[in-house]
Amino acid sequence: MAAPLAQRVEPDTALVEFAAADKVFTNGFRALNPIDLSLARSEITVLVGPSGCGKTTLLRMAAGLTAPSSGRLTRRTERMSYVFQDPTLLAWRSVQANVELVARLQGVPRAQRRERARRAIEMVGLAGFEKAYPRELSGGMRMRVSLARSVTSEPELLLMDEPFAALDEFNRERMGDELLNLWRSRGLTVMFITHSISEAVRLGHQIAVLGTQPGHLVRLFRSPSPPAAELAAPRDGAALRELRIQISEMLGGARI
Amino acid sequence: MTRSTAPGRSRLVWTVLPPVGALVVGLVAWQLVITLFHIPGYMLPSPATMCRTVLAELAMISAPTWVTMREAYVGFLLAGIGGVLVGLIMSRWRLMERGLYPYLIVLQTVPIVAIAPLFVVWLGPGAVTNTVVAAMIALFPVAANTLAGLKSTDRNLVQLYTMAGAPPRVRLLSLRLPSALPAILTGLRVAAGAAVIGAIVGEFVAGVGGGQGGLGYVITESAVRLRTPELFLAVLAACAVSLLLFGVVVLVERRLLIRWHESALPAEE
Repeated sequence: MAAPLAQRVEPDTALVEFAAADKVFTNGFRALNPIDLSLARSEITVLVGPSGCGKTTLLRMAAGLTAPSSGRLTRRTERMSYVFQDPTLLAWRSVQANVELVARLQGVPRAQRRERARRAIEMVGLAGFEKAYPRELSGGMRMRVSLARSVTSEPELLLMDEPFAALDEFNRERMGDELLNLWRSRGLTVMFITHSISEAVRLGHQIAVLGTQPGHLVRLFRSPSPPAAELAAPRDGAALRELRIQISEMLGGARI
Repeated sequence: MTRSTAPGRSRLVWTVLPPVGALVVGLVAWQLVITLFHIPGYMLPSPATMCRTVLAELAMISAPTWVTMREAYVGFLLAGIGGVLVGLIMSRWRLMERGLYPYLIVLQTVPIVAIAPLFVVWLGPGAVTNTVVAAMIALFPVAANTLAGLKSTDRNLVQLYTMAGAPPRVRLLSLRLPSALPAILTGLRVAAGAAVIGAIVGEFVAGVGGGQGGLGYVITESAVRLRTPELFLAVLAACAVSLLLFGVVVLVERRLLIRWHESALPAEE
């Protein structure tokens, strides 16, 4: 079903565009200064910055869960999935049912969503666990279920709010690989929030560094060596390390 | 899942033996106290007398037990259904919660013994009154727990359902009710005990004789006439009525929550 990646990319139109979008909450608190940001199709845009920099607000805006106070937000798709920091599963349903959940709510016919779920479960390496319940899985496995669910509704846009923050380093790296595999096979557009600079540099084609008080865009980077469509394509480690140091210094020597 | 029989049996022994042992020790001590201090039977019947009474009066006690059972269980069912409905309504409309909750608390805090006579005046003495009293006292724990359960649905899950365009009905049936289930069942467990208390208190006040009285009636009657063995028997029967209902609720709870909720886990896991 997946068209070759090259045909899908339409670089002229961004899938999501923030145009001087800002957020002031009703109590007068300014969460976000006006921000301009475009998410190109089939690219991973990472938002990195300390707590309180308005990352989640931006993501919620993109999801349509909150509107900008002024400025404009354009999203050119309705097919999107949201991945939370916690797995956010139904504890009383099996892995299979959880993976199918969003597709089922959206009215995808049974046979079709079964097949999609089967492929998603296989992709995240949970084949054989279809009948298990969330409680019976480890934290990393639950997050995989969450990831499998997010793609079973076949989104164009994947919105991820620190999805791997609760995992240990090892699982975090593996989940990052899973995400890149997903991106490769489906040409997804991803908006990804993280605290981790190394994760940002590893995953992003575009990296938006945000600052606090109030939240604002410090600088937007294009990755010198972004994730490539071919699995085996080598990446320029030195350039990425350089970028990591640059971002880290920008955030005042925060975590690398 | 398969489990070898040996650990299963040892767990059964571990569950059953301690309470049975405690019962035997208790009965022996009871008999000793009576023999050593020459306590008259109308104050404390001996276990032997008790056993004889139980056997002799089994037929006598079965009719009142059945009466109380019906009142308590129907009351429990009414409270269960009503409580979940009230909880649902209060969680759906904030105004309803504001408006109703204070009266629910009043309903809960008013002494049941004080209010029961009022129901006798309204409904006349008999099973209907006792059932209503049982339902009334059992309603609050179900309603309060249902409300608390419905209000504590994971916000991210609600957001997930909203983004997927799920209508309120689907959100309720597929998300909010199941996630409130542990809390609702806790409410039902409390209500099970309360309903039996309610039925018996109702019978204290409104109980009718003539073969239609429940255990509450038997208790007051035999106390007045100093027929202590009968009194004890009625108390035991009331416990049995209560335990049976409680046991059924716990079984249903285990059955429903076994795969997913921490409270249904075996202790050693």
